[in-house]
Amino acid sequence: MKYNSNIFKRSFLSAASAILILSACNKDLEQIAAVTPAPTGNSLGATLAANPDDSLYLAMVKRAGLLTTINNTGATYTMFVPNNNAMRIFVNAATGGAIPIAAPDAVHSAFITNTLPVANAAGLVGYNIVPQKVMAADIPATFPNFQYPTILNPAPTVSALLRLTTFPSTANGAWLNNIPLTNVDIPASNGVIHNTAFLVTPPQRFLWDRINTDPALTYLKAAIIRADSGTAPAGSPGTLQAALLNIGANLTIFAPTDVAFQQTLTGAIAQVLIGLGVPPATALAQATALASTPAVFENPALFAVLTAQTVKGIVVYHILGKRAFTNNFPTTATLVPTLLNSALPSHPGVTLQATFGVPFVSAATVKGAYNTTDANVVINASPLIPDPSGSSDQHYVNGVIQKIDQVLIPLPL
Amino acid sequence: MPDNIVKPKLANMRKITSYLVTLLLAHIISVTAFAQNVTISGNVRNSNSQENVSAVSVTIKGSSTGTFTDDKGNYSISAKSLPVTLIFSSIGFEPQEVAVSTQQKTDVAFKPTSSLGQEIVVSASRVPEKILESPVSIERVSAASIRSAPSSGFYDIVATLKGVDVTTSSLTFKSPTTRGFGGSGNVRFNQLVDGMDNQAPGLNFSVASIIGLNELDIDNIELLSGASSALYGSGGMNGTMLMTSKSPFKYQGLSFVIKEGILHTDESQRQASSFHNWSLRWAEKFSDKFAVKITSELVQAKDWIGTDYRNYDRSGGKLKAGSRETDPNFDGINVYGDETTGDIRPVLNGVAAAAPFLAPFISTLTTKPINVSRTGYTEQELINPNTVNFKISGSLHYKLTEKTEAVIAAYWGTGNTVYTGASRYSLRNFKMGQYKVELNNKNWTLRAYTTQENAGDSYNLAATTQNFNEAWKPSPGNTGWFAQYGQAFLTSKLNGLSDQDAHIAARKVADVGRPVVGTASFNEVYDKIRKLPVPKGGGLLDRSDLYVAEGNYNLSSITKSVADVIIGANYKKYVLNSQGTLFADSIDPIGIKEFGIFIQASRDITSKLKLTASGRYDKNEYFKGRFTPRVTAVYKVVPNNNIRLSYQTAYRFPSNQQQFINLDLISYKLIGGNEGLATFYNFNANPAYDRDSLAAGKTIQQQFGQLKPESLQSFELGYKGLVLNSKLLIDIYGYYGQFTNFLARRIVVQSKIGAPITQADADTGNIYSVPINSDVKVTTYGFGLGLDYRLPKNFSISFNLASDNLKDVPTNFIASFNSPKYKLNAAFSNTGFGKTKRYGFTVAYRWQDAFYFQGDLANGNLPSVQTLDAQLSVKLPKTKSILKFGATNLLNQYYYNAVGNSNIGGLYYVSFGYNIY
Repeated sequence: MKYNSNIFKRSFLSAASAILILSACNKDLEQIAAVTPAPTGNSLGATLAANPDDSLYLAMVKRAGLLTTINNTGATYTMFVPNNNAMRIFVNAATGGAIPIAAPDAVHSAFITNTLPVANAAGLVGYNIVPQKVMAADIPATFPNFQYPTILNPAPTVSALLRLTTFPSTANGAWLNNIPLTNVDIPASNGVIHNTAFLVTPPQRFLWDRINTDPALTYLKAAIIRADSGTAPAGSPGTLQAALLNIGANLTIFAPTDVAFQQTLTGAIAQVLIGLGVPPATALAQATALASTPAVFENPALFAVLTAQTVKGIVVYHILGKRAFTNNFPTTATLVPTLLNSALPSHPGVTLQATFGVPFVSAATVKGAYNTTDANVVINASPLIPDPSGSSDQHYVNGVIQKIDQVLIPLPL
Repeated sequence: MPDNIVKPKLANMRKITSYLVTLLLAHIISVTAFAQNVTISGNVRNSNSQENVSAVSVTIKGSSTGTFTDDKGNYSISAKSLPVTLIFSSIGFEPQEVAVSTQQKTDVAFKPTSSLGQEIVVSASRVPEKILESPVSIERVSAASIRSAPSSGFYDIVATLKGVDVTTSSLTFKSPTTRGFGGSGNVRFNQLVDGMDNQAPGLNFSVASIIGLNELDIDNIELLSGASSALYGSGGMNGTMLMTSKSPFKYQGLSFVIKEGILHTDESQRQASSFHNWSLRWAEKFSDKFAVKITSELVQAKDWIGTDYRNYDRSGGKLKAGSRETDPNFDGINVYGDETTGDIRPVLNGVAAAAPFLAPFISTLTTKPINVSRTGYTEQELINPNTVNFKISGSLHYKLTEKTEAVIAAYWGTGNTVYTGASRYSLRNFKMGQYKVELNNKNWTLRAYTTQENAGDSYNLAATTQNFNEAWKPSPGNTGWFAQYGQAFLTSKLNGLSDQDAHIAARKVADVGRPVVGTASFNEVYDKIRKLPVPKGGGLLDRSDLYVAEGNYNLSSITKSVADVIIGANYKKYVLNSQGTLFADSIDPIGIKEFGIFIQASRDITSKLKLTASGRYDKNEYFKGRFTPRVTAVYKVVPNNNIRLSYQTAYRFPSNQQQFINLDLISYKLIGGNEGLATFYNFNANPAYDRDSLAAGKTIQQQFGQLKPESLQSFELGYKGLVLNSKLLIDIYGYYGQFTNFLARRIVVQSKIGAPITQADADTGNIYSVPINSDVKVTTYGFGLGLDYRLPKNFSISFNLASDNLKDVPTNFIASFNSPKYKLNAAFSNTGFGKTKRYGFTVAYRWQDAFYFQGDLANGNLPSVQTLDAQLSVKLPKTKSILKFGATNLLNQYYYNAVGNSNIGGLYYVSFGYNIY
């Protein structure tokens, strides 16, 4: 038995030693490693918090309930952030001057934190966030700008894909809509921050809302209605009114003032009357009378002259299929196609040119193909007068309105 | 020529070592005692253990009369007159001669020996010869080695043989190979069961592990590594395994093995599962002329699972980084349904057209393809865990004359298992039957058999799951899965989410309504789809058949003065019938006819040198005829020490699949080389080009209809001998071969619109995997070394090491060589220790090197594998029973031996065998 147990021992030992050799076990299958650099640095929220000059904006982010969003390192954003001074200007304006610009930051901050409606704060902050990392160098300088959606959805119940859009450009400097960027490419782990000179506010109304209600654009309104009369029923898809109310549209309207319309219509009608043998003085008087109200477009006597198609041709010649703020205009005279080009593809379009002051545009012109002189964009009396009072860079959900002092003539009248 | 050079077989019998020949001859020659009158009977016992020894050959010296002891060790033999000398012989025992002068009970105490290298093999030269004198490399597994192996099934024993690689698709599906080209559907290695080719005619894999023999009925397994088609026809480029069952005349009575085990003990794949393996064999010799045999086996367990969830680039044929979380276009190897992939840019562009204010933003997202794949289900979730294998076979044996035996045999098996081809296939209720009639004479054999394949409810996991996904939510359309995904992806991008998070969120949205595995709604749809044939479902309707007739004649009795000559011929007919689900046979089954003839002559040139030459001619109706010669020489240095040298050629016709497969794998089409397919895909008018070259800017047009059989010329030099006082058996070989017209696959691409090919088509065109012949010679070489050492007290040590290599493979070829450069086996065992020598044990270790695996399902690096198997057994002589405690992969270290196959862990069992020979 002793011998047997030795055999057992020996066998056991050999088995045990074999097991020891095997302690280096079967390897797992090789894994193919993905190369994903881990993000470094502060999140957007932390980056704002680290800069005392961003404290008021950060307060608005918090008020908006968007701090978690901008701290989400699984997401990437570009934030357009006005500094405290710009925020003070905003608070001053938002309070109708009740809080002076020079008030202590604590006062501004208290307004933002306690009084500013949350929905407004969310709209303001949301409109200044692009859901992508856009470095300044990524922003094109092509005319007129690059349309980026923001994270602000004006009607989530309509579609999850709806977004208000914003229009950065690096032509003529660096801009977001019509606001200059002052400081760019401030890095964060989950995106980038660009400073804006003023708070960029989201548009709220539609182009038609302004045209329909502006007492100085009554001829334009009447012209649009006349143009649409050829496309029944009114307001149906395909009409200009529908386009001007379409949330998906993206237009620039060169809106001739009523005075400009009166002048052009008077001249045009007089020409027709003279051509019919009416003496010039009489013709001018009759024409002046006829063109004295926007009802001129509804006058059956003139239907043969102001046909729906003619009026439509003139109106669409005042519309660009892109949104051009004055700061997007080229500094040298440049031809740009209009919506008329969809009917007349070879039409030269309109000629745009802007002259810059510091930092804003001091003068901007539009010239129709058969106008003898440039039409001037009626530049706001002071920079940044928003809807409904201003005359240039009037921003709407679906476009921008630039009032001009002439009617643009696409073809020989 | 002097008489002593060509020795008559009976002269050999005088040599003690050659008594064993009688054992084999007893199979061939009818040795019944016809019209004889003195009956001698008795019993044979093991002199050590006192147990009865069955199947001992008992012959009357100087005559051809003989019989075998029955399962109780009893024999009865008739002699014409007394006295006679009885010769008792059996493998593993010293032969004994007993003189009988009176008609009385003659008992024999039979002494076990541990002599090495004395086994007789048949397959190497088609005539019996000592394994030491085989002219080519051969391995033999005897019933005794199966008895003492730690393996849970005899296919695992094959894996321990020198130079063998086994591909494990599932617990019950193991595919051995030698000299490379491992894989579940290995077409370069033949498996023959009782003379019948065991390859499923349609699926082209050998199914011996499913419908072959059970371990109780295996008399022996002979494995020829290396080219062997000069003897066995098409295929067998790399080797041939011949399994031979036990004769009912020799092995009689009822025997059974009940094996009960446990696997999945660490519950890493699933809950611990029981393992049942019951085998039964019953054989009865009703008279000296008539015997019957029935065998059956049942295996049931919860299968191993493929758990390789790595990400795979199917069109590029390589692994890629990422997981379901990090790669939206994830395609897991053992994940199915995720093969469906699409670019969501059209969805985004559709949104951009409808919502122009998003167009610029969308344009920043669509600068390159955004390919996403449908969400798949893992193999673990999908596959029926229950693996069942049931086999039954029966045979009737009748001796028409003393020398001629007629055999009618049927082998039938069914089961659930998993096979790896271009996808993983769940072989469900797969059935295959082989039926043969055979006439065996001392000098000739005539055999006709058929293989009847029925894929049952088998289905392709990938195709089924892809179609299942289409069933619960179609991929295309405005509200389809991709549209939902694309819109949700965009929404998330508009919320600033990273691509990865946006994809995860989008998947969540698109997967709303995705059936949960195991629910009634899942099962109802899935079961419906898997039964529908491809391409609408995943079902495989294969009912392919094979019909074979063959015969050979040993002319030696006539030609012995010149040489021993054997001639033979065979005829094969395949009928491929998959109703378009696998082959291009949607209209009519495809017939393929082959015939072949061979002749072999061998002669002892001197007493030390024996030369054999053989030649074979084969013709397949789709290919030109092939002639395959073989020349071998065996030089006897000293007795029991032989040097062998062989020149062999082998060939194979392109497999049925290589000729006629037509399988849409979504990302590409796997097609055969038959010209009909080239016409069908319009390659004449719209040619296909090598994709890799095209991507690099070169156009190389793919030619079709020129597929040729592949052939191999191989030289082998080996030595086998007994040294150290016959205690050490050494077998060493080296081989070098060259493949000509090597059959491989190539990825080609065709313009989708029929326009002239452009470089971009390399990414966007129709992709096909087509069989091709390599125009360069591919070289294969390797070596093997085996050592068996018998220690005192029944201990033994064995060790083998082998290396297989393939070189000069062109870069854009998928050769699927699939063999580790080195592999070794080592075992330490004892066949009888303890006071009564009733205990035995084996500890076996296997290691194989890491290698790059290439398969139709996936390619990738496989790490090295080591496994430890062990068994401890106790003999219970009174009932001729063995109780065995065994474990395979004792340390439960999971491993893969092919990419995409099951991950194999430990199996622990106890078995009780009754009346084991």
